[in-house]
Amino acid sequence: MASFVPTSADTLEEQRLYTSARMVDVQCLDCLARVRAKKNSEHHTSIQWNADAVAACPELGRRDGSSDSRDGHRGCPRLLASIDAAVRDGNLPVGAEDGY
Amino acid sequence: MSDYPQNCNVFYMSDTRMLDQGTTPIRFARGWHCLGLASTFADGKPHAIHGFGTKLVVWQDSKGELNVLDGFCRHMGGDLTQGEVKGDHIACPFHDWRWGGDGKCKEIPYARRVPLRARTQRYETAIVNGQLMIWNDPEGSAADRDILPPELPDVLTDKYTPWSWHTREINGSHCRELIDNVADMAHFYYVHFAFPTSFRNIFEGHTATQFMESTGRPDKSGGYSDASSTLKSEATYYGPAYMINWLTVDYKGFVTEVILINCHIPTGPNSFTLQYGISVQKPEGLDQKTVDYIAERYTESFGDGFLQDVHIWENKVAVQNPLLCEEDGPVYQLRRWYEQFYTDAAEVKPEMTDRFEFEVDTTKANEYWHAEVAENLAKRAAEESVSH
Repeated sequence: MASFVPTSADTLEEQRLYTSARMVDVQCLDCLARVRAKKNSEHHTSIQWNADAVAACPELGRRDGSSDSRDGHRGCPRLLASIDAAVRDGNLPVGAEDGY
Repeated sequence: MSDYPQNCNVFYMSDTRMLDQGTTPIRFARGWHCLGLASTFADGKPHAIHGFGTKLVVWQDSKGELNVLDGFCRHMGGDLTQGEVKGDHIACPFHDWRWGGDGKCKEIPYARRVPLRARTQRYETAIVNGQLMIWNDPEGSAADRDILPPELPDVLTDKYTPWSWHTREINGSHCRELIDNVADMAHFYYVHFAFPTSFRNIFEGHTATQFMESTGRPDKSGGYSDASSTLKSEATYYGPAYMINWLTVDYKGFVTEVILINCHIPTGPNSFTLQYGISVQKPEGLDQKTVDYIAERYTESFGDGFLQDVHIWENKVAVQNPLLCEEDGPVYQLRRWYEQFYTDAAEVKPEMTDRFEFEVDTTKANEYWHAEVAENLAKRAAEESVSH
């Protein structure tokens, strides 16, 4: 059961817009990780991973799993490079739509 | 959140956007919650902590262990926090029923035997970083010690100042308002008087992290406004209620490492108790007095920061459908992450815990803000030259 319950049906559509609209599949050029990404501008990036993608990424796999480590705070530079390549190749459009 | 009516749309145009205030959850988050510095409970007396819609009793037994039970005796509802510690047990002031840290009634001095069903709500405990943590779960699961917040290696040693610990009650707001800050880039300029020059988030599993770099605004005072200082901040929530914030402050080339704990206990559906603690890495080559002075200044400045937030929370309304612009952080994804703690463990969806990364583009915002600050400074200079 949802806990923070919207009273308007429109809110569910807003949730969809902000979390999944215009997300594009990006395949990592170095491993089997496939994520969904969005770029509202050159400097903005949104990356949605799933469990399979995290498991496929050797960079994230090398993180120190102990709880007192801040290792998990790093991203994967190879994936970021793959996202840049997707932009260059025209597979990932850059630009926002009304704030999302 | 004020008591404003939920549908205050007396008249509106069809394209007017309405605030969906939604309904707040009745349940409290699953996870580890910090009750405060362990040392404050270690005096052989019962202590009262408001939390999870009730009052908890905390006491130390003869082995030095801290115990936490629901504060009301299962006999006739007496207030255990006003009782007495007798041996290892907490004794009710009403009829002297004695409760153990395992939640069982151990003794009723006037009774032939203790009823078998005499068990009360107990909370499993852990001590992390010198602080007392308890596990809360409306489903009653055993504490998950794998997801305790990490121990900070050098804190509580000679290298850092002892925790400066503070408590503040917040009324009229659900604690999710506090969590929202993790994804809120622009409020650092408006509420805390700093330019956030870099801003990123990662949400994964039970953690949510904010990375921020900022410099102070020269046109303001208080908060993070000191223009001669730049801040590198890495702040992670471990579960729903305990954040460790690693801060590197560069003040005119003088670098200090500061650790800020930001934690809370929900007290009711629209209230919570905020606690924060600060520990500063002692700069080498300085005498104790100077070190204490520096620690106090940081405590003051980050304490001010919280008070700036509190004023906003106590006056805003809840909103389930925030309207975002391109410069805003991932509020919806953060709330999706936060929802896991209010969902039965078996119902937690992958998208609530899947890794998500977001980098805010701060370039335009900073351009506009620097122009605004320059204008403010020019105005101030003009006013000062008139008055002289």
